[in-house]
Formats: sequence, structure tokens, C-alpha cells
Amino acid sequence: MIAPLRSARVVAGLLIVLLMLVCALGAPWLASHDPDEQDLVAMLLPAVWQQGGDWAHLLGTDGLGRDVASRLLYGARVAMLVAGTASLGAAVVGASLAYVAGYLGGWVDWVIGRAIDVWMSFPPVILSLILMTGLGTGARNVILAIVLVDWTRFCRVLRAEVIVTAHRDYVTAARLSGFSHVRTVLREIVPATVPLLVTVLTLEMGIAVVVEAILSFVGLGVKSSQIAWGQMIADGRDAVYQAPLALLAPVGAIFLAVAGFNLLGDGLRRSLDVRMVEGRE
Amino acid sequence: MILWATLGRRLVTAVPILCVVSVLLFTALRVLPVDPAAMSMPPNATKEEIEAARREMGLDRPLPEQYGLWLGRAMRGDFGRSIHHRRDAGALVRETLPGTIELALAAMAVSSVLGLGGGLLLFGLRERTMEPVAETVTTLMMSVPEFLWALLFIFVFGVALQAMPFTGRLDPGMKLPGLTGFLVLDAVLTGRLDILWSALVHLVLPAVALGLAFAPPIMRVLRASLIDTYHEDYIRQARLRGVSEGRILIRHALKNAVLPTLTLMGVQFGFLFGGSLLVEVIYSYPGMGNLMVDAVRNADLPIIQVVGLTYCVVVLVINSVVDGLYLVLNPRLRPR
Amino acid sequence: MTLLVARRLTVSTVLGGMRAPVIRGLDLSLAPGKMLGLVGESGAGKSMIGRAIAQVMPAGFAVTGGLLEFDGRDLVGMPAAARRSLLGRDIAFIPQEPLTALNPVLTVGAQMEEHFSHLGVNTRAERLARAIAALEAVHLRDAADLLARYPHQLSGGMCQRVLIAMAFASRPRLVIADEPTTALDVTIQARIVSLMAELQRRDGTAVLFITHDLRLAGRICDEVAVLYGGSVIEQGPARQVLETPLHPYTRCLQLANPALSGARRGLYALPDQMPGLRALAGMQGCHFAPRCPLAGDECRVRMPDLAGETRRVACWQPDLTAGIGAGPAPPAVGVRTSGVKLVEVRGLGKIFRTGSVFRRRQTRAVIDVDFDIAAGEFVAVVGESGSGKSTLGRLLMGLERPSSGTIRLDGRIVSVPGEAARRHRIRTAQMVFQDPQSALNPRRRVADIITAALEAAGADRATRAMRASALLAEMGLAPEIGGRTPSQLSGGQRQRVNIARAVCLVPKLLVADEIVSGLDVSIQAQLLALLQRLRRDHAFAMLFISHDLSVVRHLCDRVLVMYQGAIVEQGPVEQVFARPLHAYTRSLLAAA
Repeated sequence: MIAPLRSARVVAGLLIVLLMLVCALGAPWLASHDPDEQDLVAMLLPAVWQQGGDWAHLLGTDGLGRDVASRLLYGARVAMLVAGTASLGAAVVGASLAYVAGYLGGWVDWVIGRAIDVWMSFPPVILSLILMTGLGTGARNVILAIVLVDWTRFCRVLRAEVIVTAHRDYVTAARLSGFSHVRTVLREIVPATVPLLVTVLTLEMGIAVVVEAILSFVGLGVKSSQIAWGQMIADGRDAVYQAPLALLAPVGAIFLAVAGFNLLGDGLRRSLDVRMVEGRE
Repeated sequence: MILWATLGRRLVTAVPILCVVSVLLFTALRVLPVDPAAMSMPPNATKEEIEAARREMGLDRPLPEQYGLWLGRAMRGDFGRSIHHRRDAGALVRETLPGTIELALAAMAVSSVLGLGGGLLLFGLRERTMEPVAETVTTLMMSVPEFLWALLFIFVFGVALQAMPFTGRLDPGMKLPGLTGFLVLDAVLTGRLDILWSALVHLVLPAVALGLAFAPPIMRVLRASLIDTYHEDYIRQARLRGVSEGRILIRHALKNAVLPTLTLMGVQFGFLFGGSLLVEVIYSYPGMGNLMVDAVRNADLPIIQVVGLTYCVVVLVINSVVDGLYLVLNPRLRPR
Repeated sequence: MTLLVARRLTVSTVLGGMRAPVIRGLDLSLAPGKMLGLVGESGAGKSMIGRAIAQVMPAGFAVTGGLLEFDGRDLVGMPAAARRSLLGRDIAFIPQEPLTALNPVLTVGAQMEEHFSHLGVNTRAERLARAIAALEAVHLRDAADLLARYPHQLSGGMCQRVLIAMAFASRPRLVIADEPTTALDVTIQARIVSLMAELQRRDGTAVLFITHDLRLAGRICDEVAVLYGGSVIEQGPARQVLETPLHPYTRCLQLANPALSGARRGLYALPDQMPGLRALAGMQGCHFAPRCPLAGDECRVRMPDLAGETRRVACWQPDLTAGIGAGPAPPAVGVRTSGVKLVEVRGLGKIFRTGSVFRRRQTRAVIDVDFDIAAGEFVAVVGESGSGKSTLGRLLMGLERPSSGTIRLDGRIVSVPGEAARRHRIRTAQMVFQDPQSALNPRRRVADIITAALEAAGADRATRAMRASALLAEMGLAPEIGGRTPSQLSGGQRQRVNIARAVCLVPKLLVADEIVSGLDVSIQAQLLALLQRLRRDHAFAMLFISHDLSVVRHLCDRVLVMYQGAIVEQGPVEQVFARPLHAYTRSLLAAA
């Protein structure tokens, strides 16, 4: 478990993710302003290093005079919450089905395989939009939608790995030693797939951040009373000429968060020697 | 011969998938908390009027019956009327689909060229000092989703440099007699070079933004499969026969390494097609994505249904084409 | 007059910051038209010599000393373009794995055409004509039709013929064949060898024949060089080296090989294995000394040079070599068997159904098979790949469900579904798998692997630890091996662990699928000795699936010959091998 820490990518990714977590958890103490406080006198202020900047608003203010830096910190809360829970949920659903399908094979595998086909025939963005229409806005529904869309990613990648592992002679040998099916899967197959699972999970967190941002950008993400980076982008677009930072700051935040998860996932993939077919979104 | 058989088989499996998708779509949208009947009426409508509208839309019947009704009409090409636009839903899709396909094709071209070129470049850098740098750059590129590229391009080329247009498909005031709906094609067919130019210029930013987001995975897979291929016996055997390195790369290695890359591209293009939705919204590009987002905001059920299905059909077609291409390029799938 | 010369050739890699030679101070010379056999076990560096000639070496390996010349031209220092024009034209290679040595996405014709255009044949028509002629020269029928086919549509033997055709197409002066028959079935091996000999005689080509098989090299080569730890330890006329080896290592190899005819004798089991690169790099004295039964004080301090005229040997006391004798003879046939039927197989059949709904295909892997195994009896199943012998073993272990027929194990029918039959089967019979790499979970410790059956039965830690150390001792493995993972073991050690797991609860029957194939002769001899010891101690029966007839003769009492899914002949080993009744058995024996 120490080996991955020797990779520069893993360390860099971990640091970024930790920074994001600190921002998310510490937002109430770190933020200089109430993120919803509108100051109509200080609308569209530039950042502190630009002409006319004000130390009270490090990254300036948006069209309603709200402090961009504070909103950014609060936005991290939703992003991290969704990233963590949605990818865990998708992993649990997708991985369980993958173990069942890959180990048992036969018609079970066929049914799960066809389910994946159906899901894959939908572009994920479209599917999550449709689901959000049905579910309604809110962080919980965003998480649910991501789980319902992205379980296939875990299932596809892991199923292939489970099939390879299940065909190894040592799995047959475990059965011949008298192990039950469940015990064989838990003792011989699951450990072999953990590195892959951890890697996909990390990469999925980055994807979840993006999906949450997309949904909030379109107005179908979290409730409008909650602060999300996607929403900030949508708001910032209207005043892009006057206060570009109101747009660029959340863009940068999303990039940083996703880059953190991707660096971590990439580093893990290398140091744990995981082979996988890549793909995103 | 085998190619057609495979394509045929692919289509045979596509039909049940499409049926299942339509059922799922239908069910998912019927658990909606909003009442589309109420949405379609003016705000001052009475309860009775809304009830009448519900009956007229068939919303009071059991779900399987509603589905049967909808399917029967859909078979005849009638996908219902848009509640919001008060127009035929099928016609709206026919108007917007060509624009989306044009954008997606352009983006596919961009991401294929960038992906394959970048993959070769990454492969060329293997075990060199620049390799870690190049790999970190690809990881970071993978962290920029298409809508962030789109926003950045607007900011840099549209707002800051003011070099490129970033709304719509044409300069304001230009109008083209619609033939196929594919602007580039129509402009060529009618010989309107000014319109062709304008259409191409408007296509650049959205297509590059979309294509750029999907290029890095292609780069990586091509690099990885080239490296795998170079470990194969037949590459060594070709070297031992005195085949030159350039010939080994182009004739022996690439032909094999492109196969896993193609599989990934098939999946990627499905995703890319979905990603066009965000790009369309950001560039106010009149395509199916904008139609979809409007419909979702207004709970415009007939539109959501037909647009969702259309996305599915396009993805299935892309997959079939990729499968066919794979078969052409991979003789191992042919019978002994 | 020599064609290929190596003088004090050294090839090294870097291991843990230290330079480690793979080939050290190698002297070789090959005259035109002669066939030189390079014989050695894995790790001896024999393949690296071929790679050094082409300068196509794995990353990190390089020639670090000495001289390597072809026809008076320095192969190491020559520019890449000049070397490329030699390769495929004057120097040609025949690979070990024919199925993977042809590009799967190009037709045979495209690859041959490419080769002829490299040889300077300019028109397409002429290239095609030459390709057809080359394929006909290796006795491939329908050559024109073959050009349009892809490698996966050909058998391994056909692929090897295509590769041989390409190698000899330019009438090269030197052909390097690296284990060209190892991946092929025995009957095909013999034909490939005679084909190579035929072409070599036709063109007067010099051949460097790299192999692990001392007997094969002795039979077909003019001269043989035996390698150990990266240097030649003995060289001389092939027949002489094979019959009266001068180096103790060659003698031990010879004695480790079971014979197919003559009196049954014991095998000489060399202890341990060839030291790894790292150990060799720091070693004083003769590299074979640690394993040599004759090693004296001088051997451990000073390295002997390769000395002599026609017979050359690197040993301080070659005159003692002839005194090394084989081990004790194995127990006489049938001594350990009893009349009790342990296995009764009746009318057993297996049909595999493959393909999709659109195109169903049936393969009859096992057809109406009847046989018995008595308690304590060793029964061999021999046949080529695809003969159904592995499927037979899997059917016996319940890993495949029979399509027809019954299997009775220790008085009870086990060819029925259900947990009770499974319990009875795994209590009675256990399996030793072919590939220990795949058969041992890389994430578990050896002690856990070999006592898995106890774990499944719910035994406590102490019981398992005790059984583990007893098993390790029985397998001749050091106690600390129990704490290691499979990746830290050598091939021979892994196979012992593999056997230990199967005998953990002392079953009455072992099913062993090709468990000594792919291992070096000295390791194979160790494992065969182990199996005989285990048999003496536990009196279990065994179904021994193998393609190697001499091993079968050494180990087993009875033999079943399988051909295309059916048993075509069965009987006592000596009787079947001495007077084969079926034509297929005769061809197997002729080829071996």
C-alpha cells in the first residue's frame, strides 16, 4: 500500500483532492463572505490583482455582487459530496453485477450484457438529463442519476477482468479444494480486481464532478438555492465581458478537481499495474 | 459478404435494444412529478379543462396502453406534438438533426486526427526524457471536458481576441434554402461560397472544442496498443527479415494497433454525440441538443421522447458502422 | 574456412546497477554448409546468441565485449542499413512460435511478397511466382490458394513451413533456427526437422540450431555446443558428445532424459537449477560446480577454459565424467497396483457447442471412451493437441459435464450434478494443473495455497500450519518457502507447490495434465523422482496426461492412446510401445 505513494502523480493527485476536501469541509470558516449575500454596490468587481480590485473580494464579485471566492469554496461542497457518494454507489452496483456476470457466465451474463448494451446506446449526458427530468432537481437526485447512468462503466471494465481471472486455474483449484462459489469469488477473484476497482473509482470521481457541473449548468442539477460550480458558470456567462473571473474561476475549479482525480487514478493505474481500456464521459 | 451479414446481425440486435429503450424512456418519463397537461394549458385554465386535456393526451389510461398508443403512432411517423413549440415533434427533430450530425462529424474528424496523430507522437516519445511530460499533458487534457473547452474557446477566441464567431451556424442575416439541412453540403450544392465559408467558420470552435475533449483517450490507447504490438513475435520476425523500421511501423504495427483503438473510438463517438448537447447550448447552435434542453426545461414530453430515441438510433448506427469497419480491418474475425 | 565466428563474445545487461553478463567469453565457429546445435536449458543464453547475430536484442541488452563476424564482416559494429541488407538475404531466422511469428492482419501472400521485394524482385508477377515456388519447395499443397489466406487460417505446422519457405527463399548462407519445433506436435516436429535438413542439403546452408533437446541436436546436427550459464562448456561432433559426454553437466543431462527404448533405468536428478544472472555475475570458479557431483576444491576457485581440438570441454577433470551413474531404477511395472477398481469410465462422451444462434458448430471432443484405473495404478493418456486428452481429465474432475456416459469414482457415480457427488469427487480425486503460473494465486502465500483444502474443511490455523510444513518437507521445499508468494519461486518450485496442494488431503487419484512439459530436463527429472516417491509413500493412482512418450514410459504402468477424441489403443506401456497395434500409435512412436 506504500508503493503508490512513490509515484509523483499519486502524490500530486492526493494533494489536490485533499485541498478540495479541505475547501469543502472548511468552507464556513474559510469563506470571507456569506456566499448568497448580494452587495449591489459592489457588483462585477475585478479580482484583487486587477485595477480596481478590493482585498475584501479576492476573486471579485459576480453580477449580483456576490463574492466569487466564497461561492467557489461552497461550490466545492456539492462537487465533493456528489463525487464521493455517486461514484461509490455506481461502483457498488456495477461491481456486484460484474462479479455475478463474469463468474457465473451463461444466461445471467447474457442478461447483464444486454442491459449494458441498452445503457450504452444512450449517450450518458442524454440519459442523465432524462433521468433528472423524471427525478427532479436536488443533490440526492443528481447522485442517483449518476449511479443509474455510470454503473455500466464499472460493470463493463470489471466484467472483462473477472472473466479473465475466473478462467485462471487457481480459481478452478479453489473449487476443487472444496470452496463454495461465494467463498471462491471473495477469496480468489475479488482481491485480483481490487486495483482495477480502485482505479476506476478514482477516475469516476472526476467524471462525477463533470456530470454534476453539466447538470447544474443546464439548470437541472442541485436545487437553485444550493451553490454549484456549474451554476456559477451559467451565471458568469451573462457578464463575461465585464467580469470574466466569475466565469473563469469555476471553470478553473472544475478543471483542478477533475485533474486531481485523474492524476490520482492514472498514478494508481501505473503503480498498481492495472490494464484497462480508457474512456470518458 | 460477411460484412453484410455482420451489419445485418447488428441491425437485428439493434431493433430489440431500441424497443427496450423506448419502453424505458416511456416509463421513466411517466413517473415525472410535473403534469404535462397542465403545462400545455394557459395558466388560467380550469381543473376541468386540464382534465379534458389529459384525456385528450391519453394520460388517464394505464401505462402499457399509453405505450401501445404511442408506439402505434410512432410507427406511422407521428411522434406527437410539442407542448412548448405547438408543432409536430418529428418535424422539429428533422430540422435540428442535420445540424447536430454536421457538428458531430466535424468533431469526430478533429478527434480522430488529433487522437491518432497524438498517439503516434506519444509512441515516438516512449522511453525518452520527454515522455513523462507528454503523459502529464495528456492526463491534464483528459481533465478538460468538452463544455470547459467550449467556454474557454469562447473566452479566448471570441471575447478576448474577437477572432471567431461563436453563436449559431451562420452570420446573422444569411439564409439558405434548406435542401438537406446540412449547411456545408447545401452551400456546395447551391454554389453559395459565402455561405460555405460562414458555415465552416461557425463550425470551427464547437467542433474543435468537442473533438479535443475526446482525443486524449484515443491517443493513449493507440500508444498502448502500439507498444503491445511491438512486443509481438511477428514484429521481431519482420526485423529479422530485414524489414525497415518505417515499414514495420506503418505496415506491420499500425494495422494491428489500430484495432483496439477503433473499438475505443466506437464507444467514444457515442459519448461524443451526447457531448454535442452541451456544446450546442454554449454556442447557441441550433441543433437537437438545444431542442432537448429546452424540452427538458419545459417538461415537453413528446420532444424528450423522440429526441432521446433519435440519439439512441444514431449511436446504434455509429456502433454498427464501427463494427463493420472492425471486421474489414481484422481478418481474424473471418471464418477459417 | 568459417562463415560465422564468435570470439570471447560477451553480452550483458544491467541488473540492480551492476553489469550482469548473459553470455560470457563465448567462442564459436560455424563452417559453411554445416549444422551446429546450440544446446542448453532455459537461462543458458542460447537464444541471446541468435539475437546478438541480428543485433535485435531486448531493451537493456548489448554486446559488451569480444568479436562477432559473419563472412569476415563485423556484425556488431556494422551500420544498421548494411545489417538489414544481410538479414533475410544472407542470414535468415526460423522462429520458435510459428503461429505468432506471422502478422495476423496480413495474408501469407502479402508477407511473402514483402520479403521478395526486400530481396529485390521487382515485378509483382515475378514475386508471386517466386512465392509459389518457395511454398512448393516446402511441400505445401495449393500454394497459390495459400497466398490469399491469413495466418490464423493455417495450422501451426503450415505456418512453420511458410516461415521456413521465407527463410530459405533467398538461399541464405546462414539460417538460425531457435527451437523451431518446440511449439509443434511430435508427428509434425519430425517432418519439420527433416524438411529443414532437406533444404539445408539442397542449398548448402549453414544452420545454427538452437534447442533444449540434447537428443534431437545429437541426431540431426554435425556438431553440438552445450551451454551453461552463458558459456560453452562442451563442444564436439554431435554423435560423440551425445554418446560419450566429457562434461559432467552434459552427462547429467543425458542421464536425466528418460529413454524410449532399452532397459528402464533411473533418472539422474541434478539438484537445484541453473543460477540466475545475478548469482552468476558474482560467482567464482566453474559455474556448474555448485550442482556438480564431482566438483573438487579447484573447481570452486578457478574457472576452466574450453580446451581440446575436435572434442573441447571446459572441465578440470573430464576423465571422471563417465563415472557418473543414474539413480536407482523405478519400481517394476504393476508392482504397486491392486485389483480394486478406483475409476470406471463407461461410454463417456463430450460434445462442445460453439458459435452463435446463426451458425452452430459441434465439436466432438471425447467420443465413447471406456477405461478403468485400478487403485495405485499410474495410467497415461497420450495424444496430440486436440486429441481430447485434456478434456478427458477435466471430465474426470467434474470441470466439464459429460454429454453421455458415466464416471464411477471409488464405487460411486460422480458424473451427475449435485453437491454430494462433488464432495465425493474432490475427496477422492485431485488435479495438478499444467501451468503453475496460472494455477497459483499470485496474491496468496504458498502455505495458504497448499492447505486450501484444509481451510475449506474448516481446520484451524495451527492444524494448517503443521500440515503446510509437513507438505513442504515432503515436496523437498525449504520451510521458509511457505511464507513466499508464487512470483518469488522458480518454475520447478512452483510445480512442487502445485503438486503439494493436490496431495494435501491425500486423495486416492491424481489427475495430472502435462505437468512436466515445458520444464527443463533436470527439473523434469526432479519432479518425476518426486512423483515416484509420493507414489511409494501414499499409493495413490494417477491419470498422467502427456505428449512425451519417454516420460510416460518411465513413469506409468498403462497407457491410453487418444486420437480425435477416441481411445484407439490401450494396454501396458511396455507392450504398447514395443508392439503398437494401431497405425496412429506407430506414427507417434516413430516420431518420438
